[in-house]
Amino acid sequence: MKLSEDDIRRITLSAIDELGEKASPELVKKVVQRSVSNFEFEAPKTDKDLSSGRVILTAYGLNNPGIVSAIANALCKSNCDIQDISQKIMQEFFTMIMLIDITNCPKDLKDLQDEMSSVANQLNIKIFMQHEDIFRFMHRI
Amino acid sequence: MPFEFDEILETIKMTEIEHFDIRTVTLGISLRDCADRNVEVTKQKIYDKVTKYGSNHVKFAREVESKYGISIANKRISITPLSIVGDAFKADEFVEIAKVLDKAAMEVGVDYLAGYSALVQKGFTNGELELIKSIPFALSETGRVCSSINVASTKAGINMDAINMMSQIIKDTAEKTKERDSIGCAKLVVFCNVPEDNPFVAGAFHGVTEPEVVLNVGISGPGVVLDAIKTAGKVDLQQLAEVIKKTIFKITRAGELMGRKVAEKHGIPFGIVDISLAPTPAQGDSIADILQAMGVQYVGAPGTTAALAMLNDSVKKAGLMASSSVGGMSGAFIPVSEDAGMIYAAKMGYLSLEKLEAMTAVCSVGLDMVAVPGDTPATTIAGIIADECAIGMINDKTTAVRIIPAYGKKVGDFVDYGGLLGQAPIMPVRELRCDNLVLRGGRIPAPMRSLTN
Repeated sequence: MKLSEDDIRRITLSAIDELGEKASPELVKKVVQRSVSNFEFEAPKTDKDLSSGRVILTAYGLNNPGIVSAIANALCKSNCDIQDISQKIMQEFFTMIMLIDITNCPKDLKDLQDEMSSVANQLNIKIFMQHEDIFRFMHRI
Repeated sequence: MPFEFDEILETIKMTEIEHFDIRTVTLGISLRDCADRNVEVTKQKIYDKVTKYGSNHVKFAREVESKYGISIANKRISITPLSIVGDAFKADEFVEIAKVLDKAAMEVGVDYLAGYSALVQKGFTNGELELIKSIPFALSETGRVCSSINVASTKAGINMDAINMMSQIIKDTAEKTKERDSIGCAKLVVFCNVPEDNPFVAGAFHGVTEPEVVLNVGISGPGVVLDAIKTAGKVDLQQLAEVIKKTIFKITRAGELMGRKVAEKHGIPFGIVDISLAPTPAQGDSIADILQAMGVQYVGAPGTTAALAMLNDSVKKAGLMASSSVGGMSGAFIPVSEDAGMIYAAKMGYLSLEKLEAMTAVCSVGLDMVAVPGDTPATTIAGIIADECAIGMINDKTTAVRIIPAYGKKVGDFVDYGGLLGQAPIMPVRELRCDNLVLRGGRIPAPMRSLTN
């Protein structure tokens, strides 16, 4: 739990108000503990940075009809913008890489990944979603 | 598409098949402001500070993991060497503090907290003597606290008194934790030239020149290098060095990105990326396998040291090019118990303690996770530590000894810790004695190398 200096001042003032002259170390501890537990903390800020930028989606597995459409549909429902697709069949293996802009997606990347893994389970393939920075760092100087 | 098909598949292959992960993100916390005359106050301050900074550490690391699709194996904390924070305390008070650290580590969900440490290469303060005395109790009564003692440096020479003391402490720790194969010794490292920003446990601590809080990263990825070498096939050594460098470059970049993002979430400075190849007991995640792929039959064969030297140097070169914040040990680790190939070579008798010592002259650390018979005399352990320190002191490099004189065990037995610490066969130690040398005590003077000004 994080207390700002203002919070500490408020707790101190309320303890002084309540105790006045009869303050002893035990009493102070009791009052402070009570006010800390009653204290209303500001809700932590939601982490918006997870749902901006572009991610790379990689899907592979045994080829089946409807894989591209199932993935594209799920992305469309989440308001994700597909900017590029590259797809190959190698022997009977299906491989697809998509570049997706998730800036307008209301969900964060974690939720999107969970959603995709349930799509992957239905289709019996593997789907990864990773922020594009990892590829830029590893493969570009 | 801004990236090639093959580039993307290469990254996925590294994480999915070749065990590439970030070995550790370690949060370094200065505890210097927690010093107080009263041990109760110190304990409270330490607990508050570790839990304050550490509370979101695991959560932030998980978020970054899922954003980039690369797993972070361990989330850890390092602290200011405790002897500095508690210089006025006695041994039993240090043990109390160790328990508080253990509790704080459990509270924030990190598996290890390191920095139960003292730097005594040139001599002891009273507090440092007390802390060293308390180590067997602290390590046997806690689960997550790790300890390291620096006993030598190129600038100060080798403190033989400290080495003698530490070899007895190692034996005592082994006895105190005998029910669990002397596991206490796996959490205790003796160093020469210890780096102050190393993120790898058990030797990590938050150096006195470091900022208030900092985030350091240790990468890993022996499996990735192994696969690259196998794919390269029969090429000459210069080309092989190129292959290793290219691979390390990529994983270092990934490590730095992940570390910077975790630090950003904490709102604290990013420290260093330690580009060490750290093995795990998992199949295919082994330094020994890399050396074998380079061409030696098994680790311990003639040529092993040369192969390791090239590997270690290539790792450093690529890391330096990839990041401007390289630090820690940066090279290749060769722990015996944590590496399936090393375990096999030791078990078969291919790898002797002497060959391992030669290898430590060119690897990034030293004799690591080596189990020896429980009846090895303390003076012999002191001799082994002194030899390692001599290599480190003269070559201006970090060396360390993490040796386990497994209580009640002899050659042919095993110690088995499971998990990352793995298992180690008890290796034979020469029965020749060095008592008359080490028991002279005093300090081996600093070498020529120390006079560089």
